[in-house]
Parts: sequence; structure tokens; C-alpha cells
Amino acid sequence: MAQDAPAAPAPTRTAVATSAEQRRAYIQFDLLIIPLIVLLFMGIFSFHFALLVGDWDYWVDWRDRRWWPLVTPLALSVLPGVFGYLLWDRLRLPVAGTLTILCLTFASWVSRYLNFHLFADFPMNMVWPSTYIALGLIFDCILLLSRSFFVTGLFGGFLFGLLVYPLNWPLLAPFQVPVELHGTMLTVADLLGYEYVRTAIPEYVRKIEQSTLRTFGEAVTPLTAVFAGFLNILNTWFWMWIGYLGAKSVWLRKIT
Amino acid sequence: MIDAAGTPTAAKLRSRRERLRRRTLRMLALFYVLMLLPLVADAHGERAQMPQLRMSTVHWFDIEVSTTRLDVNDEIVVKGSFMPSRFWPEHVESIEGTAFLNIGVPGPSFVRLDSRVNGVPMIRSTRFMRGELYHFEMRLKARKPGRYHVHPLINVKGTGPIIGPGRWVEVGGNAADFRLEATTLLGQKIDLEHYGFANAAWWSLFWFVFGLSWFVYWLLECPIVIPRFKRRDELGVDADQMITKADRRFAFIYLTLTLSFIVGGYQYAQASYPITTPLQTGRVNVPPAERPAPTVKVEMVEARYRIPGRSFRIELKVTNSGNSAVTVGELAAGNLRFVNAAVSKVVPADEDDLVAADSLRVENGPVQPSETRNIVIYADDAMWETQRMTTMIKSPDANVAAMLFFYGADGERHIVEIGGPMIPVFG
Repeated sequence: MAQDAPAAPAPTRTAVATSAEQRRAYIQFDLLIIPLIVLLFMGIFSFHFALLVGDWDYWVDWRDRRWWPLVTPLALSVLPGVFGYLLWDRLRLPVAGTLTILCLTFASWVSRYLNFHLFADFPMNMVWPSTYIALGLIFDCILLLSRSFFVTGLFGGFLFGLLVYPLNWPLLAPFQVPVELHGTMLTVADLLGYEYVRTAIPEYVRKIEQSTLRTFGEAVTPLTAVFAGFLNILNTWFWMWIGYLGAKSVWLRKIT
Repeated sequence: MIDAAGTPTAAKLRSRRERLRRRTLRMLALFYVLMLLPLVADAHGERAQMPQLRMSTVHWFDIEVSTTRLDVNDEIVVKGSFMPSRFWPEHVESIEGTAFLNIGVPGPSFVRLDSRVNGVPMIRSTRFMRGELYHFEMRLKARKPGRYHVHPLINVKGTGPIIGPGRWVEVGGNAADFRLEATTLLGQKIDLEHYGFANAAWWSLFWFVFGLSWFVYWLLECPIVIPRFKRRDELGVDADQMITKADRRFAFIYLTLTLSFIVGGYQYAQASYPITTPLQTGRVNVPPAERPAPTVKVEMVEARYRIPGRSFRIELKVTNSGNSAVTVGELAAGNLRFVNAAVSKVVPADEDDLVAADSLRVENGPVQPSETRNIVIYADDAMWETQRMTTMIKSPDANVAAMLFFYGADGERHIVEIGGPMIPVFG
């Protein structure tokens, strides 16, 4: 009696058999994941920025010499710090600073145009978003050149804080030309803020140079910029450390 | 359509999926239609503010608009008077701290050309003293066609907007025709609707393209995510080998260019706009309006609000030191006006003017010259209910305040504020 031989195991099939197929799969993965990351950055960065900077970036008559250049880099360094660490540590990609701020910039322009201009009727010259992309570039370039988080925090973080005002000055300067209204000197930005009615944003809500440290005479902007730079060194290191915690493989082990 | 094992057939499943798909599409369509419907905001939530806040903060009166129909670019004047209450609630930050005269309109449907209180420009914030009289005037220019409920309002720091009576104003014409110009102190005439935007947009676009090119440089080696992840894992501590010499050169060029553009842009802006000033702020002082010495003095003896009858009964002790008999013509509380038709004829300005033209009864009046007498007034009207004033019993201090307008036999008007505790009557 001949016995049936045991069935041979079915040959293992894989979707990727050649290097060309593998390359195609990797490209498909990129095509899926990169747009998702861009959307994610647009969403979380614009939400985070709206909460922490908000009116300082919404209105041209809020960008004073003391608070706007101090508050902005502290809020702006968060995503470049965290994702800068993650992308460098895991992929050796120095793009987080530029990419996150590009996403923020794009989302801000869409929001200002649709919400502030088309829906709420404010003229675009009153609500244009500031530009910060150069700060992301500096951060990424220093990370690549130094290959050190310490140095990136030290120099990248410092320049991030230092350069907010000079970077935006070409956009902002026309709005700080003086005008006169009913015997009061204003800037063009103040005039826009007064004439274009904002029912829920009275004049006193703006925080215009409310602070001490007046002993340096006219040097309000450089003093704030340097102070913001130093503060932002610590801030950048802190958020990179958060990125380091997030990059630990313990998290991956927990979800797999 | 069910097979022997009791599972739905493929056709049945397809049909279910089709129904689900159609239902989802219908819901989405409904959602978008609702989102896109041009919903009109009829008012500014006056009724939502708690009654005590409306009654005991700012008394607005004599509100007028110069016109109720105008076209884009036409001007309108909103004027009137207000008196911050002497009975301002202790639990709310005072108007004697920081305040700003504003206008309640939906966004910049109008632009504000001028605003003054007692003749002082109200470009900046100020403070107003309780119990004093202020006259305001705002000159607006119509910017967007539409029908708007225009209110004067005062923003009080720590308290929020205290809104005055509204008037409906209809704006016709074409928004595209709107023009607003200014002349800088350097003599340059500028169009405020567009000034500086092209420059800001150009710089923003420049930096966007420049930043995007950095990102594209790294994308060019696509695929990047998995290959770099694997390579990084393989190299371990030597992962920096993944950065090529070309990358470093590229980064150095980009860093140099970025810093150069920032410095160059700054220098260019300094050269283009050599004269600038920082943003301006500060406070202005507004002296109260001068008033003759009052000849009518009033003390509120008792105030009871009867909830079922929507009736406010107020007993007053009135001293008249003037030369003619006086009687109460109007009680104004929280922007509601209760008028004694026997003394004063008031015609509502529009359908939402909160005037009860014959709702005030006066017992034991008028008060003769040199006489002190207790009188009782009754303000009875459904407006207490419809304007959500009945929730005054839920206030943390149970105090009320109102303005009384006395009229003399000689036609003179005497304005007096009353205030004090209020007792609700539930039965």
C-alpha cells in the first residue's frame, strides 16, 4: 500500500522580488508618508502657533519691538527642536527646521486668506503672516555642518531668536512709517488697527513694549533680539531633549 | 440572497455598501450646504450678557445715527451719551481702570475715521469715571454692502465689551469701489487697502521658494525614508557617513546665502524706509462733561421685581429743589427703555429698538418745587422677559441700577441714576 507523501509546503511569495520592485515599494512608501507628514506638520504647527503666538502674528499692529521677537522664537523652535532630533537621529535628514516652518507658512497663508480676508473681510496687508523660513534653514544647515545637537542648539537656537526681527524688517518697515491722525502720531500699522474695526480686540489688548530694561536707550530691538537668542538656546536644547525622549526605541517596542 | 451557511451573498453586500455610500454622500452634501449657507448674525449677543452687567455698568442714552441708508464710501456718524454707573459691581473690573470706545459691527464692514469722547480723540485707550457724563461721536465710512446692527460699545479691561443700543443700517453699492487713503508724515499718499502687501507677499514667496529648494534637494534622492532608516541602522555610530561632501558644501552655501539675504534685506529695508517709528500706544485723559448742579435728588427706597408679572416696582424718595414740578418720564435699565407715555412720546427707531412706549406708571407724582416726596414707579413689560433680564435674580450681588429721566413742567430734562438692592417676588 503506497502511502500519500506529505504535501510540500507552498513556496513563500513576497511582493518584492527584485531590487527594482523594492525601489518602487520604497518610493510608494515615500509618496504616502511624506504628504501625510506635511499635513501633520501643517495642522499641529499652525494650531500650536495660534495658541502661543496668535495675535502677535495675526495683526500687523501687534508686532512690536519687544514682545513679538521674544515670544515668537520660543514658540517657533518647538517643532524644529523635536523633529530635528528625530529626523537627524533616525534618518540623518537635516530638514525638520525648514520643513516644519514651510508647513506653518503655507497653512498660515491659507488661513489668513480664507479666514481673515475672505470670511472676516480684513485687508491682506493687515493680516499677512510673518516669514520665518530662513530660521529653519539656518537650523538645518548648522545641524548638518556641525553634526551636533549641542552646537545646533547653541548657534542655531541663538540665531533663531536673534534674527526674527531683522528677517522680517523688509516686510514690516513700510508699516512703521509715521502718519498723523487727529493730532496723534501713529505708524501705518497703528492706523490700520484703528480704522479697520475689531470689536473684540480693543487697543489696550495689544502688548506694546510693556517692560522695564530701558537703560540701553534706543537699543530696544538689539537688546530684545540678543535676550531672545540666549533664551532660545535653552529652549532649543529642551525641545531637542524632548525629541530624544520621543526617539527612544522603547516606544516602538511598546507598540509592536 | 443568503447562502446555505446563512451569510449574505456578494450581491447583497454590494447593495449594502452602495446604500451606505449614498447615505454618506448625502450627509456630506448636507454638511457642506449648511457650512456654506450665508448665515446672518442679527445682533451682537446683547441678551447673553448677564442683566446686572447690563444694568450696573454703563448707561447709554440719546443714541443717534446720522443715516440708516448709505452706499460704500459714504460716511455715517454714530453719537450719543453714556454714564458709567456709580453702582458698578464690585466683582467686575472697573471702567476707571482701562477702557476703549469701540463700535460693534461685523468686522471691518465700516472703517472708523474718527471717534471722540467729549471732543477728545479716542485713538488710544482711556479711563472713564463712574457717575460722570460723557458724550461720544464716531464717524464711520461704509466698506462692505449689507445690513448691519451698529452698536456703540466700550471695551473694559478685565470685564469685556459693554454694548450700547443698536441701530439697523443698510449699506448699498459695490465693495470693490471702496477707497481709503492716508498721507504719511513724509508726504507719501498711500492706499490703506493694499499698501505694503505686494512687498510682504514678494518676500514671503521668495523665502518660501528658497526654503522649498532646500527640501527638494533632499527629496531628489527619493526614495529616502526607508533606505535612510536602514542605512542609519546599519552604520550605527558611523551614521554621519551618510552626509556627503556635496551635502556639506550645499549646506554651507545655503547657510551663507540665508545669512546674506537676511542682512541684505535688512539693509535694503533700512535704505528704503530710513524714517520709521515704533508702534504707538498710551493713554489719553478725557475730562467728564460739565453739568449744572442737579436740582432733582433721588434715593431708591425699595426695588422689588415681581417675576410672574414681569413688573418692576421701585419706591423712590425724590427731592425737587428746582423751580418747576417734575415727574418721571422714563426709566432706562440695561438698554431697555420704559416710557411714561403721559410725559414723553418716544417712537422706536427701528424694529429692534428696545423701547416700551407706554410701560411706566408713576404713583404719587409729580413732585412740586421745594418738595420731598416718596413716589412709586412701575415698569411693566414683557421686555424684561424677552431681553433675558429676569435672570437678574441670579446675580452674585442682587443689586440693580437704572437711569431716571425726570421732566419738568418747563420741558427741562433731569437725568438721575438710581441703584441699590433688589428683592425678587416669586408669587
